[in-house]
Amino acid sequence: MIVAERKPFDELVDSIKDFRRVLIVGCGTCVAVCLAGGEKEAGLLAAEFDIAAQIADRDQSFAVACVERQCDREFLDELNAKVPHYDALLSLACGAGIQFLAEKFPDKPVLAGVNTTFIGVNEDVGLWAEKCRACRNCVLTMTGGICPVALCPKGLLNGPCGGMTDGRCETDPERECAWVAIYQRLEHLGRLDNIRPIAPPRAYGRAGLPGRQVHAAYERRYRANA
Amino acid sequence: MPEFEKALAEKDFVVTVELDPPRGVDLKPLQELAAALGSRIDAVVLSANRAAKARMNPLLAAQALAQQGSEVILTLTCRDYNRLALASDLLAAKAAGVNNLLLVSGDHVTLGDQPEAKPVYDLDSTQALQMAVQMAQGRDMAGQEMEPVSFFLGAAAAPRANPLAPQVFRLHKKTEAGASFFITQPLSDLEQLKNFVQQIKSLETKVIAGVEAASPEDLEAAANLCREIKASKLAAGVHLSAPDHQDSLTALLDKCGL
Repeated sequence: MIVAERKPFDELVDSIKDFRRVLIVGCGTCVAVCLAGGEKEAGLLAAEFDIAAQIADRDQSFAVACVERQCDREFLDELNAKVPHYDALLSLACGAGIQFLAEKFPDKPVLAGVNTTFIGVNEDVGLWAEKCRACRNCVLTMTGGICPVALCPKGLLNGPCGGMTDGRCETDPERECAWVAIYQRLEHLGRLDNIRPIAPPRAYGRAGLPGRQVHAAYERRYRANA
Repeated sequence: MPEFEKALAEKDFVVTVELDPPRGVDLKPLQELAAALGSRIDAVVLSANRAAKARMNPLLAAQALAQQGSEVILTLTCRDYNRLALASDLLAAKAAGVNNLLLVSGDHVTLGDQPEAKPVYDLDSTQALQMAVQMAQGRDMAGQEMEPVSFFLGAAAAPRANPLAPQVFRLHKKTEAGASFFITQPLSDLEQLKNFVQQIKSLETKVIAGVEAASPEDLEAAANLCREIKASKLAAGVHLSAPDHQDSLTALLDKCGL
């Protein structure tokens, strides 16, 4: 899933300072699971904003709305009646959801309430770890199900760098070296031949461009509209 | 054939030293140091933003040293350059009179003086070696024709790596990619070198053993290790470094008896 964390409170207070009525829009999917931007977090933020506004003697009011997914138009439609009553929308969705909300309501300032951090997994209660960089060219078959693009800070494709120390990454002794993990897993599986050939450089040309993907079954529909 | 390639082929024991370009604009001290080292060494390895700290582009320093007759091994790092910039530097290096390259991935930027910089790593060091080989055959990485430009190619090795097997695995790939010599990271003792050489014995790549005097007080210990390495005949040579006190290198050579 996509993992995010709430922006620092002071930064949020600063971002809403020009607006009297603010609608905090939560998202019920990824950011709810990682406790950053679901309905509960939206309500909590509204309460914190209320107190801060009272202390600073600012005439501001806050309301909360939460949609199932901000990255889906049909869910955003639920906000149509509410939005006109507010001066700004503070989205707690991931970066994709925030942009989709902005696109949906072109006349309203849309503010970011979270920093989207990564695509990852839930390691334990309240603990998430990055696993995927969405690089569009998955090497996990080769690397034994451990991603060097996401887990090696250098994104190396041909083995560990010289900075690895006692199986740990040169950038952080707490972090396991991805390439040691890859090597050991493939050795365990008897599949070191996977990584024997020199891996070619990654294809970054497309990776730098905004992605767009059409399901094969819908190709005709979108080609017709193009 | 580059002078250094010849030395590595013909001599029992080569000596390289690592020199940092200035963190400023005056090349004179570097030139004087290289001149003082003179023919006591077989090549100067010019570092590239060593430890991810910004210094003068080593290409310019390489040109200055090459012009005064030093044999230079130019370090190029994948951390700071994408494949376009690496190809461009390869051409410039040749024009500057450089015939040897050390191609490295490079210490991560988080270890350096500008930890918020964007690390590049478009290629890794293995792929950079492949690129250099392709350019020697007159093709860029995309396969397009260009004027051939060839170098004697080296790579870095980490004998202290624990576990060592993944590192050895990678060194096989670096050799396959085109590395003719390895310059190792600084060794702590001869045992490390023994173990390392044992692990890579199926490779023909020549090993130049790294010996570092971390501070001026360490010259004696570094010299001892250097003499041990030479006597052991385990390596094709030594690579001496004295980071942040490189003026001590002449004294280190004296102590090593080189």
